[in-house]
Amino acid sequence: MIQPQTLLNVADNSGARELMCIRIIGAGNHRYAHIGDVIVAVIKEAVPNMPLERSEVIRAVIVRTCKELKRDNGMIIRYDDNAAVVIDQEGNPKGTRVFGAIAQELRQLNFTKIVSLAPEVL
Amino acid sequence: MLAPLRSRVLSGAPSPPCPIHPPWRQLGFLLRLASTSTSSSSSAKEKQGILDLAEVEKVLSDVKADDVRVIPVRDQCDWTDYMVIATGRSTWHVRNIAQALIHKAVVDEQVKQKQKGAERMLLPSVEGHGGGKWVVIDSGTVIVHALDEKARAYYNLESLWTAEISPKGPNQDLEKAIVKTRRRNNSKKPMKSVQ
Repeated sequence: MIQPQTLLNVADNSGARELMCIRIIGAGNHRYAHIGDVIVAVIKEAVPNMPLERSEVIRAVIVRTCKELKRDNGMIIRYDDNAAVVIDQEGNPKGTRVFGAIAQELRQLNFTKIVSLAPEVL
Repeated sequence: MLAPLRSRVLSGAPSPPCPIHPPWRQLGFLLRLASTSTSSSSSAKEKQGILDLAEVEKVLSDVKADDVRVIPVRDQCDWTDYMVIATGRSTWHVRNIAQALIHKAVVDEQVKQKQKGAERMLLPSVEGHGGGKWVVIDSGTVIVHALDEKARAYYNLESLWTAEISPKGPNQDLEKAIVKTRRRNNSKKPMKSVQ
C-alpha cells in the first residue's frame, strides 16, 4: 500500500537511499500502489559521489511491500520494508544489481530485467 | 459480457486442458502457465510454444549476434534454466535480434497450431523493445538478453550469473541464522543442568 508521501527504501546500487512516492503511474484514480507498480518518486537521501542526487525526480518499480501479497494458490508474501528499484523512462534499471528477495510477480508484469539482476526470487 | 466467454469456452471444449482452467486465465497468464507446466515435469509440454536452446543459438548465429554466451543457471535459480547473453552492434541490431527470435517463435507456433490444432499461441514475452539498449526475451526456460556493448559492460550479467556469489549469499545468511539458534540452544542447556 504505497501512496504519495510514502517513504521507500532503495533495493539497488543506483546511489539513491530513500525515495518518497509522489505519484502512481497508470493507476488512474487508484489510491495505493502494490508490488510491480511504477511510481514517480523524489530522492530524499542519496549516497555521495553517485550520479543520482537528492531531490531528483525519478521513476521506480515497487519490489517489496509491508502489505501482504496474495497469490492464487493461497500463498501470502509480506516483507519487512517497502522497497523500490530505480528505473529510467525505457524501463532499464539505473543500478546494476538488485538486493534482497524479489517476488515472482515482477516477471509476469514484464520486469524480467529486474528479476534477472536479483539474487533471490520468491 | 457472458456471450464471448461462452463462445470461448465452447471453442475451447475439444482440447483437453480447457475445461480445467477457465479461459480468461489462459489469456492473461500465459507465462505463468508456461512456467508451471515446465516445472510440473513433462518434457513434451516444455517444448510447447517455447523456444529451445538450440533454436535460440541458431537464430542468434543467423542474425550475427556477437559474443553469444549460454549460461546454465538451473542450480542457481529456480525460475529459469538457461541465460543467453548476446551483443548487438547498434540499437537497431539489438532490436533486430529480438525481432528474429519472436519471428522464429511465431513461425513455430503456427506450424504447431496446424499440426495439433492448438487453440492459442504461446509466445515469449519481450521487454525493452522500444529502447534497444537491453532487450529481454523471456520464453520460460530460456531467457535471452540482447544488449549493446555499453549496456553489456555496464550491467556485467556474466559475472552475476557465473560467479555464483549472489545465490550463495542468502544461503550463507541462512547458515549463520542456524548457527545462532544453536548457540541459543547451547546457552539454554546449562540452565537446564542447573535446574
